[in-house]
Amino acid sequence: MRHRGKGVGCMWYPIGFTVLANPSAATVKVNEDGTATLLTGTVETGQGSLTVLGQIAAEELGISTDDVHVVSADTDTTPMDTGAIASRTTYVTGNAIKLAAENAKQILFEVAAPMLDVRPDQLEAVDRKIQVQYFPQRCLPIADVALQAQFVMGRPPIGSASYNPPTVAMDSETGQGKPFSTYVYATQCAEVEVDDETGEVDVIYMSAAHDCGTAINPMLVEGQIEGGISMGLGYALQEEMLFDDDGKQINPNLTNYIMPTSLDMPEIDVDIVENFDPTGPFGAKGVGEPTAVPTAAAICNAIHDAVGVRITSLPATAEKVLKAIKERDGGEQKALPAAE
Amino acid sequence: MTDDVKVKEKTETLESLRKADDDLRLPAVPERTIFPKEIGIAEAREQTPAVGQRATRPDGRMHGLGQTKYIDDMFFPGMLHAKIKRAGISHARIKSIDVSEAEKMPGVMATVIGKEIPVNSFGPSYQDQPLLADEIVRHAGDGVAAVAAVTEQQALDALEKIKVEYEELTPVYDPLEAMKDDAVKIHNGESNVYSTKTIKKGDVEKGFEESDHIFEGTFTTQMVEHVPMEPHASIAEWDANGRVTIHTSLGRITLGRADISRTLELPINRIRIVATVVGGNFGGKNEITTEPILALLSKKTGRPVKSVYTREDEFISSTTRHPFIMEYKTGMSKEGKILARKVRLVCDGGAYCSWSETTLGKACILSAGPYNIDNLHVDAYAVYTNKTMTGAMRGFGAPQVCFAYESHMDDMAKALGIEPVELRLKNTFDEGSASPTGQVLEAVVVRDSLEMATERFGWQEWQK
Repeated sequence: MRHRGKGVGCMWYPIGFTVLANPSAATVKVNEDGTATLLTGTVETGQGSLTVLGQIAAEELGISTDDVHVVSADTDTTPMDTGAIASRTTYVTGNAIKLAAENAKQILFEVAAPMLDVRPDQLEAVDRKIQVQYFPQRCLPIADVALQAQFVMGRPPIGSASYNPPTVAMDSETGQGKPFSTYVYATQCAEVEVDDETGEVDVIYMSAAHDCGTAINPMLVEGQIEGGISMGLGYALQEEMLFDDDGKQINPNLTNYIMPTSLDMPEIDVDIVENFDPTGPFGAKGVGEPTAVPTAAAICNAIHDAVGVRITSLPATAEKVLKAIKERDGGEQKALPAAE
Repeated sequence: MTDDVKVKEKTETLESLRKADDDLRLPAVPERTIFPKEIGIAEAREQTPAVGQRATRPDGRMHGLGQTKYIDDMFFPGMLHAKIKRAGISHARIKSIDVSEAEKMPGVMATVIGKEIPVNSFGPSYQDQPLLADEIVRHAGDGVAAVAAVTEQQALDALEKIKVEYEELTPVYDPLEAMKDDAVKIHNGESNVYSTKTIKKGDVEKGFEESDHIFEGTFTTQMVEHVPMEPHASIAEWDANGRVTIHTSLGRITLGRADISRTLELPINRIRIVATVVGGNFGGKNEITTEPILALLSKKTGRPVKSVYTREDEFISSTTRHPFIMEYKTGMSKEGKILARKVRLVCDGGAYCSWSETTLGKACILSAGPYNIDNLHVDAYAVYTNKTMTGAMRGFGAPQVCFAYESHMDDMAKALGIEPVELRLKNTFDEGSASPTGQVLEAVVVRDSLEMATERFGWQEWQK
């Protein structure tokens, strides 16, 4: 018989390295037609980070995402970056890019000020224009200002900057300190169906509400969450590297190491929790790693709700769940032994 | 391409293979690729303000059209293919490595063993990992020698001719066993415990005394692989100026460059790393793997050298996620407030430290969960075992401890007769809460995320 159950998993996760410096630097070059080129040392590892970083540069310069071309990941040309690790790219690299774009923008403002007959600090960059704050009808296209800067004033609008999250070292005795600049929070809920004759667990539905500060690109945030759930699902139910008595792996291939496929994926509803972190670029934090964190907890809690057995050792394979159900029926309420 | 290459390369001499080698290179005029040249730009990419737009990815179009160039899609004239011989034994002293027979094999241009690497060690926290094991093998996936040959198959065939003599050492696989004083020491040192972390906040014993209920639970997790779609791959080219260019699937190029500089004893400005679009990282590509080995093979042969891990290499020799053993003890008031918690974490670090030190630290901090706990004591240990090394993986210790503290939370909810979500809401961080390390938290939305996810789920109305 199949039993349904619901479970919840809640988590928090930090952005960036634990205490250690993990700086990023960036260079933003505004071209004479008002488009821009961004140089970053981070690497696109499939998560869409270069698109998000381009959006951050574009926002600061008041231009569109497509107006920014991103050059990345060449140590001869791109500035130092700690890399695509520790969910730090949007927050740390993003902050560096925002500062670099601000520096480039400052040159544009200084060039535009006499053209618009105001001081540089009265200007803002919006909708591909440099305009006077609270008096937008006095404005110039950013392309005109960039051209003027480059070829008339001889000041190419190029900005460079770096950012490192502020931390406080942890006390070696008590661990007290400020190891990270900021954290994100999330909850996932799972609905499962457990077959009490086979022990098989089917995840039917999951809802996920993640905080990432400002979602620079909500579509990519949703993509990360769905991907994280697929990874968490494999972790909860299927994936395990097995060793023989001689310490050799017995399933180093995708035939015997079972990963979730599209057929194993539940229906997923994703919500982005509205939040604004004043220390992040435009309020953003990060989302990469946390998406895979609470999934296994939510699924195992749902298994417990469905059939009343507590899985204490991952993965909750059909064999393990069935064994636990049999032990329960044998009158023993004890949980599975910790180690195999 | 000729079909008889595979047959030939087993039997023919290098001279007669030149033709086959030429066939394996890119043709002088590449085949014409056909894809739509006019691009329609998605509206969201052209709108301002840019932040908040559902802008499409430029690389998405390249992926969709099959135009993305991963490392395996790159060919350079005269490029060789490298393969690495794996130990296949989990703990042993290397008595000798003989590559002479392998060097005589058809198509083989060079070999490298650990002793030839100027500084044969690396690692982000401790430099305890050799690029190729030269004295001690510490897990079955350790590399012991590398071969560069004209084709991949030739390199593979040559691996079989490498003779390694081992003196077997007693292995230890269980982290709890490895922690014992009399356990075999995997690295030189007094203990296999190579990192410990502690968090102490408030008075945990007093907290337990004041608690109405005390709950205990032990939880364990398994070792898993990142399984990125693109395996680790790189191409190294040593040029006539003594400068090396490395195309690689590394996710962390600046620090990777520093590691390569250290192992090769080359100034940093003589190393160029170009990363492509990486086909999945998930933490597994945060360290160098074969890059310095390929650089040395390229230096020896004067040719670019490529290596692409097989799926098996990926499993047995790249980093994995740490198995954890987690003991929880929590004191609760009868109203459902957490008053004290004691946690002990043991992390199976495998043969080398890699990112374990960092993983352990993060797990230690996060192990209390997003809950206000005034009296907390966490002890955490990372331990060497003779298994594949564990390292950075999406979550850095968090999925392990989250599984433990959230399972524990539900067990307590059941015992106290409090609805699980309700119990969490009673204990979650709020704006200005102090974290386990005493950090004052801001922009805290645990409560909102709990409410949002359960509302979307239909938690209240949901029925079996």
